[in-house]
Amino acid sequence: MAQASLGWATAAKIAWRDMRHSAGKFIFVLLSVAIGVAAISGVRSFSQAFRQALLLNARNIMAADLAARMMEPPTQAELDSIAKLQRRIATTKVIETVSMANTPGDPYPILVSLKAVDPAVYPFYGKVQLQPDETLVSALNDDSVAVGADLLLRLHTDVGGRVRIGGREFHIAAIIRSEPDQLSSSFAIGPRVLLTEHALELTTLLQPGSRRLERILFLLPVGLRDQVESVKQKLIAILPEAQVTDFEETSPALSQGLDRSTSMLSLLSLVAMVLGALGVATAMHGHMEQRLDTIAIMKSLGARSGHVMRIFLLQTLTLGVLGSLLGIVGGLAVQAVLPTLMARYIPLHPEVALEFRAVLLSLAVGLMTTLLFTLPPLLRVRGIRPGLMLRRNVDTSGGDAGSKGKSLSPAVNHFRGHWPQYLAVLLILVGLAVIAAFFSESAMVGGWFAAGLAAILLVMLGLSKLVLVTARSLLEKTRLHLPSVVRQGLANLYRPGNQTASILAVLGAGVMLITTVFLVEQSVVKEMKLTSAPNQPNVFLVDISPQELDGVEHLLQQQKAVKGEMEAVPAVGGRITAVNGVAAGQLKLENFPKRMLQSVSLTWSDELPKGTHVTKGKWWDAGTTMPQVAIGNGMAQRLNVKQGGTITFNVEGQELVATVAAIIKSDGQHAFSRAEFILPKGALAAYPATWYGAVHVDIDHVNDVQRVLYAAYPTVTIINVADVLETVRGVVRQIAVVVEFLAGFSIFAGCVILAASIAGTRYKRIREVVVLKALGATRTRIVAVFSIEFLVLGLVAGTAGVLLANLLSWILLIKMEADHPTRWVVSILAVLATALLADFTGWIASHRILGQRPLEILREE
Amino acid sequence: MKTIIEVRALTKTIQNGSRSVEILKSVNFDVPAGQFVAIMGASGSGKSTLLGLLAGLDSPTSGDVVLDGTSIGELDENKLAGVRGSKIGFVFQSYQLIPTLTALENVLLPHELNAGGSGLARAKSLLEDVGLAERMHHYPVQMSGGEQQRVALARAFMLKPPIVLADEPTGNLDSVNGRHVLDLLLSMNRNEGATLVMVTHDAAIASHAARCITLSDGVVISDELTAVGQQ
Repeated sequence: MAQASLGWATAAKIAWRDMRHSAGKFIFVLLSVAIGVAAISGVRSFSQAFRQALLLNARNIMAADLAARMMEPPTQAELDSIAKLQRRIATTKVIETVSMANTPGDPYPILVSLKAVDPAVYPFYGKVQLQPDETLVSALNDDSVAVGADLLLRLHTDVGGRVRIGGREFHIAAIIRSEPDQLSSSFAIGPRVLLTEHALELTTLLQPGSRRLERILFLLPVGLRDQVESVKQKLIAILPEAQVTDFEETSPALSQGLDRSTSMLSLLSLVAMVLGALGVATAMHGHMEQRLDTIAIMKSLGARSGHVMRIFLLQTLTLGVLGSLLGIVGGLAVQAVLPTLMARYIPLHPEVALEFRAVLLSLAVGLMTTLLFTLPPLLRVRGIRPGLMLRRNVDTSGGDAGSKGKSLSPAVNHFRGHWPQYLAVLLILVGLAVIAAFFSESAMVGGWFAAGLAAILLVMLGLSKLVLVTARSLLEKTRLHLPSVVRQGLANLYRPGNQTASILAVLGAGVMLITTVFLVEQSVVKEMKLTSAPNQPNVFLVDISPQELDGVEHLLQQQKAVKGEMEAVPAVGGRITAVNGVAAGQLKLENFPKRMLQSVSLTWSDELPKGTHVTKGKWWDAGTTMPQVAIGNGMAQRLNVKQGGTITFNVEGQELVATVAAIIKSDGQHAFSRAEFILPKGALAAYPATWYGAVHVDIDHVNDVQRVLYAAYPTVTIINVADVLETVRGVVRQIAVVVEFLAGFSIFAGCVILAASIAGTRYKRIREVVVLKALGATRTRIVAVFSIEFLVLGLVAGTAGVLLANLLSWILLIKMEADHPTRWVVSILAVLATALLADFTGWIASHRILGQRPLEILREE
Repeated sequence: MKTIIEVRALTKTIQNGSRSVEILKSVNFDVPAGQFVAIMGASGSGKSTLLGLLAGLDSPTSGDVVLDGTSIGELDENKLAGVRGSKIGFVFQSYQLIPTLTALENVLLPHELNAGGSGLARAKSLLEDVGLAERMHHYPVQMSGGEQQRVALARAFMLKPPIVLADEPTGNLDSVNGRHVLDLLLSMNRNEGATLVMVTHDAAIASHAARCITLSDGVVISDELTAVGQQ
């Protein structure tokens, strides 16, 4: 007799008809898949589009074909070598530094970012947009500058007004609307000012040793533009202290940053994908529960488990593909939103378009995740015995397939009956790790991600079950004492067919993620607020010339708002030529580019500086002239040098072999915190130095002290740490907004799963509503009962999520050595918000159940 | 004797796809207080629809139902709920217990919805009367069909409603349980004076009624006192 067999075509027919019949239920499954795919597709597409935009605009972004960045101006010999390199190569210099600026009549200065250019030549590609619309040549000269709009706001002035920078007043000719190479420039710590190189010289801000960034831009003649690499190699040889890049690299920092953030955001999106996939698994489990009779009938007609599984596998595949396609459309919206969230710091708006590779990747990940997570419920088909359906109402044994034959322990029986599901779970973990490893380009990160996510979900599930069991136990003891509407609302959590614990775990995981991001960001940002401890500097002075030092110290001593004395740190420029006798060129260094050896800042102190302590070795005696050096632990590791080793410095052409006398650690709060290499005074004092100062000023009078200092010493840059922290806080907040936006997808996934579960019990709810109406319940009463159910669901999920978020953020902040208080208000608000969100979602999913006519439902009985 | 149920030209039409189906066609009858009326008819004759309209679970296309002096046709949903809660006890064919509530809580529900004070003593007493004193803290899923239907009966009688409507209350039960449920209903009818209107297709059960109304295709084809009713 021929064996009954279900062909793929028949399976597809049954699958399709079943899906059409249950279209409403499967919409939630589609959404569950779409959410994660939208996040991943949006992030990857944006990244790809951004990279393409960078490439397309690469020359504009660099404003040149090649650029050489250096902290010190090139020597004449280097300039001569460049000139000899190729006569047809055009060059221009861009100098960036920071300074103080004010308007005449307003004595209070602000910190500004200066950029000096040759307006006749710069930029080689692209255009500086000014308002009013004019060329850079006409706007900039020795007496006029162009400024950012925020400078006008902060100094309460306008185009046509005047601004004082360093020792010179300038006319404000125009507002800078955009610069083509803004992404390649250093981070603007204050409003931007464009001026000519000569104008910068006239301000006398740049002295030997002054802090600056120089970029030499190169424009290759048309005939040489395909030989960028060879010209680059020649430039590297001419300028060993510089970082030479070509237009295809644009800003290496930007590219690296883009890669890292794409990885991180992809992993974040993967969390949403996983939570969505859990929703798919939950929905398929519920769907198959409702199809048990159908499965049993088919088996009783001779169909094998594998054949029956084809039906549900095809449904899963269809849902995976359709959901992924929907997600890709959603990803376009994500792609459109991301640039808006980052507009303040990334002035590039890539085109919103379907990026082929990103789309393919998102489809693959969406399908793979959906299939993997649906495996465990699919494999249940194996254990369904037809005969069980005939007596399902009285036989609750579950038909354990492993109970045949010998009598074994329940655990062994369970494993024998369910080992394919356990194998499927293992496959899921491996699959997840592979995907995460691909996104992060690191097998280790992938592994930890999968393990971490699984652990978090298990903990959430455990926590949710614990809360539910505890609540049920309390309910059993108090139920008759509770108001009837509360009792029924709470009892509904345990409605047969509800997968309350799973839903709580998924929704709670989403809440946990977004709350963790928020808590960490809040703590990090709060940590940046200045304390008013009297012994901590809060104002730093940069580029004090040796001639100005005494005067600055004296002036500060006269200010009542200044507490204590100024900490003064000398800085002498040098380079490292050998470590432990090994020449710099032959050193094998990790995480430390060799070009950094070409320009290091040395300082001196005979006493152990404030805020510094020795972790290994010993500080030298005051007055010693023996060349020794104290370095931080991080630097020691990067240079691979221990206490007792040697570092050879070249200062002003003279070799200085210093023994590492001590490894030190700084508290990061004092002037010497920035010192990388500290030597005894006797070893360095003979060399020309620029000075840096740090002083504590009464917070309410910082502006006054700035005013007095600026009036007397306009070339000294005064950095109010509070202002800098405000800028950094803004950046951190912006990053957090992007992260929270993507973390929000996880909550969205949780809500969809909640809605799916509520919709899945829709018929049961309708029947309950009908019975309640028949018993005399008003609509208000029914609304109250269901609202209590949804609110409690949200409260439990929110509580579990917030508890875990506090724990995770606590661990992260301890590792970051940041303050980690428990934020009660934020936590309580998060719990309440989750409750309200769950209530809202519940009612969206329960729409129209209140309006059902009782008799329509009862007639169907 | 006082008329407790008046049915006036009751008509119910529904849309089935593109066509209209008249389930009830101008049904008229009165039920005096305390009478046991059986409504019989073939499947699809409109019996359950008629019962539902009497309970206010749906609104008629035309005509009216007056329960204990209150016309329910024009009442809004909340007022209708009040009438259902205070005047009607409904027994469904499929028990329709709330699965998340215990037997005791299911019986208590009408009291909590419609009355003040504590109904706990009466609820327990009713469960004892139906032989389920030891199962009062069990959930419906832990009970047999017969036990569930007895809980439903106790629930229906919680507020001593003047009218009890039962839709094939023994339809899903075996003969022993069915007999038990019928006895309880008859006991409530005789001892408490509740008017009982029961839909049934079982002539043996209908023989216990005082009156039998037979429907066919939505029309009353006979309305007669039975042997019991003639006594």
